[in-house]
Amino acid sequence: MGRRVSPAVALVVCGLLFAACSVGEPAPTRISVLASSDLVDIRPMLEELRQKTGVELEMDYRGTVQANEALEPGHYRHDVAWLSSDRYFQVKLKGSGYEGVQPLSVETMFSPVVIGLRRGTAERLRRVTGNSRLSWADIADGAARGLLRFGMADPRTDSNGLAALVGVATAAAGTGSVLRPEDVSCDRLRGFFSGETLTAETSGALVEKFVAAQDDADGLIDHESALLSLNASGRLREPLEIIYPQDGIVMSDYPILLLNPEKRAAYDKVVNWLKSAPVQKELMERTLRRPLDPEVSRDPRLRTPVGNALYFPDQKKVIDKLLANYESPGTGTSDQVLFVLDFSASMKGARIAALRAAFAGLGGADDSPTGKFVRFHRGEVATVIRFGGRVLGERSFTVGQDGSMNDLRDFVADGGFDNSTAIWSALDHAYRKAGELIADDPRRRVSIVLMTDGRNNAGISAEEFLRRRRSSSVHTYAVRFGDADLSELGRVTAATGGHAVDATSRLSLLGAFKEIRGCR
Amino acid sequence: MTVLSSPVKLFLRKRFLRIFVPLMVFPVLGLGALVHEDYLLLPLRPVVTLEGSMASKAELFDDEEVKRILMRHNLRVHSTVSSSREIAVHEISQYDFVFPSGQPAAELIMAERRSGNLHAAEYLPFVSPIVIATFRQYAQTLLDNGVATPQASSGGDPLYYDIDMKKFFALVRERKSWNDIGITRHGAPNGNNILAHTSDMCETNSAGTYLGLAAFVENQGKVVANGAEAEALAKRIKPLLTELGQTAPKGIFTPYIAPEGAGITLLVVVYEHQYLAYQLSFQAQWGRADSQRVLLYPSPHFVTQPELIALKSRADRLGELLMKDPELRRRTAELGYRLLDGPGVPPSQDLARVLTERHFPVPVTEGDNTRSLMPRVDDLEKMIKIIAGCRK
Repeated sequence: MGRRVSPAVALVVCGLLFAACSVGEPAPTRISVLASSDLVDIRPMLEELRQKTGVELEMDYRGTVQANEALEPGHYRHDVAWLSSDRYFQVKLKGSGYEGVQPLSVETMFSPVVIGLRRGTAERLRRVTGNSRLSWADIADGAARGLLRFGMADPRTDSNGLAALVGVATAAAGTGSVLRPEDVSCDRLRGFFSGETLTAETSGALVEKFVAAQDDADGLIDHESALLSLNASGRLREPLEIIYPQDGIVMSDYPILLLNPEKRAAYDKVVNWLKSAPVQKELMERTLRRPLDPEVSRDPRLRTPVGNALYFPDQKKVIDKLLANYESPGTGTSDQVLFVLDFSASMKGARIAALRAAFAGLGGADDSPTGKFVRFHRGEVATVIRFGGRVLGERSFTVGQDGSMNDLRDFVADGGFDNSTAIWSALDHAYRKAGELIADDPRRRVSIVLMTDGRNNAGISAEEFLRRRRSSSVHTYAVRFGDADLSELGRVTAATGGHAVDATSRLSLLGAFKEIRGCR
Repeated sequence: MTVLSSPVKLFLRKRFLRIFVPLMVFPVLGLGALVHEDYLLLPLRPVVTLEGSMASKAELFDDEEVKRILMRHNLRVHSTVSSSREIAVHEISQYDFVFPSGQPAAELIMAERRSGNLHAAEYLPFVSPIVIATFRQYAQTLLDNGVATPQASSGGDPLYYDIDMKKFFALVRERKSWNDIGITRHGAPNGNNILAHTSDMCETNSAGTYLGLAAFVENQGKVVANGAEAEALAKRIKPLLTELGQTAPKGIFTPYIAPEGAGITLLVVVYEHQYLAYQLSFQAQWGRADSQRVLLYPSPHFVTQPELIALKSRADRLGELLMKDPELRRRTAELGYRLLDGPGVPPSQDLARVLTERHFPVPVTEGDNTRSLMPRVDDLEKMIKIIAGCRK
């Protein structure tokens, strides 16, 4: 008893002799970490981190958007934040008027947000679109046609979902530039999201759902790292082919931010450890994220070029608008557009041909990237109201039902013109119809598109139309064609909450219809 | 009576020896290694750790060779990586020195120090031109469009091009995409609009300098004369600089040299020294230059002048070493900086000498002085705020 010299004594002696003596473990420094939920995969490395640096990370996992929300400048509740992306936080910081020092921030690794598809689905899509390299526009087209169902994490809670939403919206705007508020004022992603059949609050939960119900979707939108890990897990009946959309990806760069400056020394140790080449390599091997260190040789699965990075908006209102437009699958809403179309005699000839071409384009014949986004989508209802001096005919078509697009084109192509033009009576009729539709199902998203090429010379006046009561939630968007009165169209549509576009000056008729698609 | 412990002396006990001897051997070996590395020559003089706040110049103190040289002078630098403008507009009294990457931030800091009658010793050891780093396919596409021309000296696979910024900004203003100007003749399609990627203009000197360059070009080769002119010009050139949306706060050079760089950072505004240091280390490792990554030298040519400001006298020695120590200066040139021998003198030939020694092409640059082309610091501040909507 009592004969052994405890290692502690040896340590003390050792410590007295040599200040640099590094045997044994000092008491770990604990730091609290607000972490994105997808960083659970680095958990096995935390023990090694503690041994090597003496710093213990207490991880508090949250969905990244929620984590970003929890970061209130000057009121942080954690020592450090480690997120898949801090872009939402940076946008918020910029919009908040906060003038203090920004938290120190260092990127640690990166991974693009991409889509993984079953091979058969990807091949079908390539065949249908004729593109060997698929784009987000092709995915949108496939979804609108009902060829493709996918899962995506909720962009309101998860940054993968948000990155995907921003990427897809940027591709849909097709400006080659960062999204501006005017690019997102109308929702051009209804077709794209008509293919979303699976969602979850976080990317991790989404993967579990997909594994459990592999027949419910043909693919997943997620980080490349998550998709590669899922493929490697052997839990899928069939691995997913990873598509790096040709129109661009959004990159997550996993920044680690110092929120509590008093923990600077520990933070530095953690950052230096994370950035060291062996740890970068281990991170890559464990998580299949790409190392920040250019010298670390990439796993063969990570040698595919990621394609072009899209720009992330720097205005909070752009992101807020995108999130406001987004709806989870299964919320039961449906889209219905009432097209109020002028069939007065002046539409004969070239004008009606242009109208037919425009509807063919919206029906899927327009294979431009924007056309693929704004085309009619499965489940959407298009109601065509033809008018002259009175309502000449009215029919509804449900997209995706057999032959419905052909029937729609035939109905628009049908002759039968009238000699007078009762624009406001026809619009008044459309509002009565809209009122009935909403009374029937309040979740229906109804909007009205009015197209006319002449001046009102029958029925009620614009003033009379404006005096009548109508649903304030239904807005009218007008396409001015030929000799129609643009200022009157502008005035009346503005009073309903919509606006008018001019198809005579700069746009084709199809271009004008596309410009107001998704406006409601 | 209880007999307490045995009479055998502690250090002779087997168990003790088993534990302690190996423990002793390690530190001695370690110390030997340190001495060999010149790191530590036992406590002759205490090592002074200097706290410094800086932006891209932190790369200098990250260099192992620089660390060794400083350690020989009993100095160690602990850097807080910030950004030049952030250093200039926030509290810095906790640091021994700051090292903003350019004159605008240095001027703001010096004005503050003078008004508070505080210690501030200025050292200007080197300069580095602002450049646009890119990939060959983008440079070649700009060449096809008459916007860039290869520098004569750089041989068959040129690493250096001159870029006519007036023509370049015209492409940006017209919102042309890379697809529009024929990128597919040289590489993968890219629908993004043409633009040079800077780090955050609210923060970094490189972005601020690029703004100065855009202002100079768009103002017909004149520096803005006053605040009102600066304001009007800022509104006019905003689209040339802000179409990127959110930018990386710092460190855009790291993604550029990643294998994935060509898709993430097509054209990045950086300092010449970052590129040259990368190429020299690439060459040391692979025996050849990285011929995919090339530099565009903007015409007009803008040079940035980093400035070490010692805030406490203990940091003066670091400034002196950077100015005078031959070993440190040689290493600095190897890291791609153009050394200055004194105020008002054009940069020395040390960098060209280092490149030539290593059979690496030497870029050709005109000898413009940045101070004469950059807006006055208060005009620049005004423009930065208008263009980037900074919080401070």
